[in-house]
Amino acid sequence: MTLAIPTPAARPGFLQRLGAMSKADLATRILVVAVTVALLFYILLPVYWMLKSSFQPNTEIRVLPPVWFPQEWTLQPYVNANRLIPMWRYVANSLFVSVTAAGIATIIACSAAYVLARFRFPGATFILGLILLTNLIPAITRVFPIYFFIQNMGLLNSYVGLIFAYVGFSLPFAVLMLRGYFETAAPPELEEAALIDGCGYFEAFWRVILPVCLPGIAAVAIFTFLNAWNDFLWASLLLNQGEMKTIQVGIGDFAQEGGGVQYVNAFMAACVVATIPALVVFVFVQRWLVGGLTAGSVKT
Amino acid sequence: MTRQKYFFCYAMIAPALILTAVLGIYPMLNSLWMSFVEFDLLRVASFGTPFVGLDNYVAVFSDPRFVQTLLNTILFTVLAVTATLVFGLLLSQILNGTYPGRTALRMLVCVPWFVPPAVASAIWMWLLNTDRSPINFLLHDLGLITSDIRFLTDSATWGPFSIPMMSITAVRVWNGLPFAVIFLLAALQSIPRSLYEAAEVDGASLWQKFWYVTLPSLRPVLAILLTLLVIGGLGSFEINYIMTGGGPQNLTNIMAVYSYQQAFSFYRFDLASAASGIIFIMTGFISVFYLRSQLKKVA
Repeated sequence: MTLAIPTPAARPGFLQRLGAMSKADLATRILVVAVTVALLFYILLPVYWMLKSSFQPNTEIRVLPPVWFPQEWTLQPYVNANRLIPMWRYVANSLFVSVTAAGIATIIACSAAYVLARFRFPGATFILGLILLTNLIPAITRVFPIYFFIQNMGLLNSYVGLIFAYVGFSLPFAVLMLRGYFETAAPPELEEAALIDGCGYFEAFWRVILPVCLPGIAAVAIFTFLNAWNDFLWASLLLNQGEMKTIQVGIGDFAQEGGGVQYVNAFMAACVVATIPALVVFVFVQRWLVGGLTAGSVKT
Repeated sequence: MTRQKYFFCYAMIAPALILTAVLGIYPMLNSLWMSFVEFDLLRVASFGTPFVGLDNYVAVFSDPRFVQTLLNTILFTVLAVTATLVFGLLLSQILNGTYPGRTALRMLVCVPWFVPPAVASAIWMWLLNTDRSPINFLLHDLGLITSDIRFLTDSATWGPFSIPMMSITAVRVWNGLPFAVIFLLAALQSIPRSLYEAAEVDGASLWQKFWYVTLPSLRPVLAILLTLLVIGGLGSFEINYIMTGGGPQNLTNIMAVYSYQQAFSFYRFDLASAASGIIFIMTGFISVFYLRSQLKKVA
């Protein structure tokens, strides 16, 4: 998806274009711009409000009417947040669980996605259908049996149980996304050449395909990580006690226990911290976004 | 050679297939089974889980709270999907234009995507706090309201509509909009320029170009997006659960939250499974139709 950007010189000036426009088009354009500005306000206000609140001192956050532009910026809320909840511990828990789950899911997904992308074998379409179905149907339709399953294995409130659940729930998405990637990014001639040279199937996959596809695989790993990092539902069920909670559950609980006005700056500080990893990896996966999106469909 | 190839294929796919079966397909079917037995966690030790047929479904449908929840879910989904599609179409058009600052604008529009749902709920709870909402103060200053809007607690209703329902929907749309925008943007970029040029030669207005060129070209992509959004909406959970827990007076309750509360607050896993069973049937139905059309393209 490259963008064709016309050279500026080839385009008539802005005012000339406005003059050449019909009245109806001008009205359409003004309306569109007005709605866009309103939408941008809607999109950005909450983000700004979170950031602003997280740097406001205790005294200012309670002032009425609310202060739009704080006079004084302070890091105190970030320190306080860690006193109210073990914030950094929660972040470390989240990182550990999400990274491990993403790693395992990506490895398993790679091998499955590769054969689904390259080979025709009995049952391939059926298996692909099952994986798509699992990816589409909402998680709430399977939480109870999985909850009992994890409980019966004695893994409730353990990292292992949650990682296991995350691998299961990210796997379909990772398989679909990687399958699309293998189909487009790695030409079949690559392993055909390797096979003629006497490589086995696995060797061709391992030595030839994987190295070529590493960037795409990394992107899928990051998406899987984000899915796990953002999750609230599974973590709130499977790992909800003491210091082992993930940051999302920590924030959810904080919100439901009031997160009252007096602590709200600390609360927003915790929210900023819980969002940062996602924003950081966003920079790396930007160009893969579209592939990630269409993973929900077979082909677009 | 073929045998060797098949062995390789099945060996490679086995781990993923087993995990999908154990943590995906089997729990879904098991959950559906749980909706046909009695499963009260407080009674299960002495009574076990006897088969009761459709009793659980009869029980939930005779609960007015559940019927209201089902209607809420449908309303919530329709509102959120419509708003996401309309705003998504508009913003993707804007981001598809050529002007300075477009890349920056695209990044800004994407920001809510990277806010986890739990955090999105938390931010909006603070933003919509009745006494301290900047939106209330802004509306006051503009002279549009005389008393504060109680975004999350007002229990007045207009038919199925209520302020808390609208607020929750707005949060859902906020969180899900970037996905739709980028999805549509990718599709817009693949529409051949020549179609627009032909329309311009015919003297089409902006609106006519959108209606007769853009929309028909987007149709397949819109169908996919619509399916994904509807399924996502029907199974939506976090925002309602964290922000209101379904309240006030059940006005923002949706199926997934009802199901979760039946299970983990009241230990009625049978009623919970009946509620999630209805989500399963609705989303499963849509998914199967969708998959049939998608898989046809592959085969």
